[in-house]
Amino acid sequence: MTWWSFSLILTSLITFVAGQLLLKKGMELTTHSSRNARRFGSFIVGGIVAMTISFFLTLGLLQRFDLSYLYPFQGLSVVLIAIAAAATLREKITPKLAIGSLLISAGIVLVSLS
Amino acid sequence: MTSRSTRERPSGFRNPWLQLVLSVACVLVSELLLKRGASDIAHLGSSWSWTGINGLTSPLVWLAIVFVIASFITWLYVLKYIPLSIAFPLSRVVDALVPLCSWIFLGETISSRRWMGIALVVIGLAVIAKPVARMEERL
Repeated sequence: MTWWSFSLILTSLITFVAGQLLLKKGMELTTHSSRNARRFGSFIVGGIVAMTISFFLTLGLLQRFDLSYLYPFQGLSVVLIAIAAAATLREKITPKLAIGSLLISAGIVLVSLS
Repeated sequence: MTSRSTRERPSGFRNPWLQLVLSVACVLVSELLLKRGASDIAHLGSSWSWTGINGLTSPLVWLAIVFVIASFITWLYVLKYIPLSIAFPLSRVVDALVPLCSWIFLGETISSRRWMGIALVVIGLAVIAKPVARMEERL
């Protein structure tokens, strides 16, 4: 694997995680006052843009690599999202949540390597 | 018990946990429909086949797209009420369900290593879901 493809895989992961965080942030705004309509819109649009970038990067990568090679990296998204949600959204990560996320990630890696 | 941090959660059809189940079910159905639809119209020789755009000639693919949109809308609703660090790991139950349903409905085979992976995902889900269920009961 070259540095170029590694950075593409990394970018597709980061944009996916960022997209989920932006969507979450946008939807959280809807539970408070209704004054935040513009901020809500920019978070949701930002989230959709990030997910779209991630989607097309993955599509391009799929043309060069096997799915069973690329999918384990998707497994990492569970752990990455837990860490990112704790860091940026101040969500609490309990030990059980951490263990469960790690198990699911490991399971996804095993499912995709066959 | 409804402070600002523990927001009031709608019950019945609008229960966010039910919506999470619906979202996962929509993803699962869309994946199976996409596979069926893509196999139906596969002409690997044609010059456009690598884009997947020729998949749009299959009615099953269009049905799958409807399910993809439904899963996105329900997922947004889930995000409104459930922390991302809980909802996202739980939503990965599809990584166990897709191979299982491919085995049951599409006749694909599952290797022993894949069975182990499915087991790990299920154990991880149980570890996360149990304390969450207890927390919900208390509310």
